[in-house]
Amino acid sequence: MAVKVKVGLIGALDMLKFKNMAKTREKVIQAAPAAEITADYAVNNNARELHPDFQKLVLEQIKDHPGTGAKTLVFKNADGGPLAYFRAGQYLSLRMEIGGSRITRPYSISSSPKEALQGKYEITVRTNPGGFAADYLLERAKPGDTFLASGPQGNFYYEELRDPEHILALAGGSGITPFLSMAKAIADGTEKFSLTILSGSRTKEQILFKKEFEELAKDERIRIVHILSDEEASGYEHGFITTDLIKKYAPSDFSTIGIFICGPEAMYRFLEKELASLHLPRKLVRREALGAPKKPEDLPGFPDAAKGCSYLLTIRQGAEEYSVPAESSEPILVAIERAGITAPSRCRSGECGWCRSKVVSGTCFAPPENESRRWADKEHGYIHPCVTYPTSDMTIEVPGEYGE
Amino acid sequence: MNKRYDIVVVGAGNAGLSAALHCASEGKKVLLIEQHNLPGGCATSFVRGRFEFEPSLHELCDIGTAEDPGEIRQMMEEYGVHVDWKPVPDCFRIISTYSDGGAMDVTMPAGKGPFLEKMEEYVPGSRRKMEEYFELLEEIMEGTAYISASNGHADSAVLKEKYPNLLRTGAYPVKEVWEAMKIPPRCQDILSTYWGYLGVDMERMAFIHYCNMFMKYVTRAAYIPTHTSHEISCAMVERLRELGGDIWFNCRALEFLFNGDRLCGVRTTSGDVECSYALANINPDIIYAKMMPKDLIPEREKKLSAARKHNYSARMYTIYVGLNKTAEEIGIRDYCIFMGDTADSAKEYKNILGGYDTNNFTIFLCGNIANPEASPEGTSIGFFTSMGNPDEWGDLSQEDYVALKNKYARKFIKELKDKAGIDIEPYIEEICVASPWTFARYLGTPEGSVYGYETAGWDGMMARMMMLSSDYPIKGLRPIGAAGPRGDGYSSAYVCGKLMARLALKDLKEEGGQA
Repeated sequence: MAVKVKVGLIGALDMLKFKNMAKTREKVIQAAPAAEITADYAVNNNARELHPDFQKLVLEQIKDHPGTGAKTLVFKNADGGPLAYFRAGQYLSLRMEIGGSRITRPYSISSSPKEALQGKYEITVRTNPGGFAADYLLERAKPGDTFLASGPQGNFYYEELRDPEHILALAGGSGITPFLSMAKAIADGTEKFSLTILSGSRTKEQILFKKEFEELAKDERIRIVHILSDEEASGYEHGFITTDLIKKYAPSDFSTIGIFICGPEAMYRFLEKELASLHLPRKLVRREALGAPKKPEDLPGFPDAAKGCSYLLTIRQGAEEYSVPAESSEPILVAIERAGITAPSRCRSGECGWCRSKVVSGTCFAPPENESRRWADKEHGYIHPCVTYPTSDMTIEVPGEYGE
Repeated sequence: MNKRYDIVVVGAGNAGLSAALHCASEGKKVLLIEQHNLPGGCATSFVRGRFEFEPSLHELCDIGTAEDPGEIRQMMEEYGVHVDWKPVPDCFRIISTYSDGGAMDVTMPAGKGPFLEKMEEYVPGSRRKMEEYFELLEEIMEGTAYISASNGHADSAVLKEKYPNLLRTGAYPVKEVWEAMKIPPRCQDILSTYWGYLGVDMERMAFIHYCNMFMKYVTRAAYIPTHTSHEISCAMVERLRELGGDIWFNCRALEFLFNGDRLCGVRTTSGDVECSYALANINPDIIYAKMMPKDLIPEREKKLSAARKHNYSARMYTIYVGLNKTAEEIGIRDYCIFMGDTADSAKEYKNILGGYDTNNFTIFLCGNIANPEASPEGTSIGFFTSMGNPDEWGDLSQEDYVALKNKYARKFIKELKDKAGIDIEPYIEEICVASPWTFARYLGTPEGSVYGYETAGWDGMMARMMMLSSDYPIKGLRPIGAAGPRGDGYSSAYVCGKLMARLALKDLKEEGGQA
C-alpha cells in the first residue's frame, strides 16, 4: 500500500486508539448517571395534538335551520380542553353505530379553526333520500350523545404557497359548509385570501347560513351570490352555476383566481362540462372529494356478469376472520360496516387511502374517476374499499382502527 | 393471548421490514405490526392530485448494477424482493460558499475517474492528492467489508497487514484525517457535501463511516426505485406474506410483556400476542421509558441513555412540489442541488440549528432527472429537504404551525430561484410541507428525528459495532433501526434489521430452541 496515513503524531498510537474505541465508549457510558429514562418530547406532543388517532366528542347542541332540512350539530371535546386545530375546509370523519352497522361519515367542519382550540367543532347535516347517517343524526341524535371522530382531514383548503389570492367558490346545497369555515377564518384573521362564493340552492327558503354570510360579507374580502335553481326572485341569480355566471362574478382574469368546488355529484358532473370551456390549468381548480359513485354498475368498465350480484366476503382483521355478505352495487366498505366490523375509513371517496386493504383473493371493480391509489398498491392488489365494488367472492385483509 | 408467533417485529420501517424478511426466510413464524396503515416508515409515498410523492429517499447507495450488485441489491435478491431501480446521473451539484469565502457552484459526476477529473478542474493541482485519497478510501471500504463479514471476529493480524490505514484513521473524525493528509481546503469543501445525509458535521463525523457512504455514492453510483420508496416497502411486505408471515396494519404496540426477566409477548391495540422474541423498530429511549417494566431496565442501559443525552440526529423538514411543467421547461437540469451559506459543515450545522433566521440549508431534488416516470407527462416533481431545530418546532403553538412551515417553504423556494435560477413558483400544482411534527406523527421517533442518535464521537458506528454484545441486554428483545449500530439511512436500516434478526435467531438457538 503506497499510502500511509498518520493522523496523530505516532501511527501506532492511532491504531491503539482504534482498538480502544470500545473501551473509550464504555468509559463514557459508565461515567453517566443511571438516571430514569424519559421520552417526553414537545414536538411529538404537538404532533399528537394536531393529528390524534381519534377524538371523543360530545354533542352539545343541535341548531335547526328551518325549511332547509338541515341542522347544525355543535360538538365539544368530551374530555374538556381543545380539539385538534385544522385548516378551514377540512372535514371530520364521524363514527356512528346504527342498527348494528359501524359506519363513518365525513362532514366538513363549518366552525372556524380558532373555535377548535376552544374545544368546539360544528358540522351541518342535511337530510337526503336514503341518507342512513343523516337520518340518524337529524332525527335521533340528542345533546349528551358521544361520538368518536377522526382528527381533521382532507386537502380541500386554501394554500398560500400554491393558490392565487382570490378564490371563487362554487357551492351546491350543503357544500357551502367548508366555505363557511373559510369565510370565518378570513374574518378572524386566520386566513388571508379573498373569497367570492357562488352558492346554489333550490329556493330562497333552502339557503343555508344566509344570515351568517350577510354578516361575514361585511368584510370586503368576502362576497356571496345566491343562485336559485327552482325559484326566480329579485336579488338572486336563477338556474345552475354556469360558465356565464362564473364569468360574470369572477373577480378578475381567470389566471389570477382559483376555483374551489364543493357540492353534490350531479353538480360536479355539470360543472365539469361547464368549466371545460374555460381551459383552466388543473392547479387552479380544486374539488372537495366526491364520495363514492352512486351508480357504479353504470360506469364504463364494470363487468356485465357481475351486475346485480351478491357475493360473500371473507374479511381478515388482525387475528380475526369474518364472513360478510356483499352486493356488487355497494362499496366493499359498506358491506364490512354492515357486518358490525370497525374498519378504518375517512374520506369515503378513494382519496385519503385510510381504508387501504389487501385483496388476498377474488376480483373487484375500482372506478377510474376515484383512482387515488399508489402505483405499488395497484401492482400488489391493494384497494380502497370505500370506492371498490366486489365482482366475485373475495378474501380481504383489512387494517385495524384505533378507538376506545 | 390470542395468537402465538416465533418473532414479532414491531414497526414496518426499513429495519423492521428487513428483520421480518430475514426471520421469515429462516422459517420462523413472523408477525409484523405497524402503527400506520402503510409499511415503510420513511420509505413510503403519498398521493396528491395526479402526483405520487417520494417522501424521503434522495438516493440509495449500495445497489450497484445487476452484474456487479451492491449489498442492498444482493440483500433484496436474497429476500426475493423485486424492485425496478433507476440510476441517478450525477453525484450532486452544490451552490454555496467555499470555506475561504469564494463562491461555489460545483457539479460532481459519478464514477471515480470523472469525479477526479472534475475535482482537478475545480481545484487545480489536486489530482495527485485526490488519487492518494481515493486509494485510502478503497482500502477503508475493503477493510470495513472485511470487519462486517467477520461477525465481530475480525483478525487483528489481517487488519494490520491488509488494512493498516483503517486502523490508523478509524478512531478519528473526517476533518482530522483530511487535515493530516493535507487535502486542499476546497477539495474538503466539495467532499463534505454529503454530510447532511448523515446529519453530523465533518468535525465530528467518524472518518470511516463517512468515507464508506461517500465511496458507495461516488463509485457505485446511486439508485432510486422507479415508483417511489413505497415500491420497495410494498414489495417487501408482499414477500413476507409469501413466506408465511402476517402483517397487521393500524396496530400499535403498547408494551412488551415479560415472564420474569424474559420477553414473552407484546401487548398491542389488537390484543396480546405471544412470542419468543421481539424486534422493535423503535428508539430505545421510548421502549425503556414507556413500553416495559422499569425494574427490568439494566443500570448500564440507563447510563447509556443518559450518556446520549437525547442527542438525536437530524429532524427533517421537507417541501414536496408537483409542478405543471416539465423539468426541461422550468430549467431544472440537476437531480440534486445542495444549497446553503457555507460548505463548512460545522458552521452550516450551527446555522441550521439556529432556526429560521440562520438556516439557509436546503437540498432540492427533481425526480424526473433520474426517472422519467416520476410524474405524469407534462409535469415534474421534486422536494426540498432541510433540517429543523427541535426547540423551534417544540415551542410552537398549533395556531402558528402552518405559518412557520410556509415561511420556511417560501425561503427555500426563493433560494432555489436566486441561487440556481430555477423559479418553480408559477408551476406549483400541488405542495405539501412536512416538518418535524409530520415525521413525529408518521414515525413516532423522538422529536421527529430520522437518524436515531448522532453517530458521532464516542458513539460512532464502529464503536457501536464493537459493542454489539454489551448493548443489547434485554432477553428476547432487541431495538432495531436508525438508533442501532449501523446508524441512519435506508441501506443502514436494511442492514441493521438483518443483522439484529440474525443475532436474535442466534440468541434463540443458544437459549435452547424456544422458537
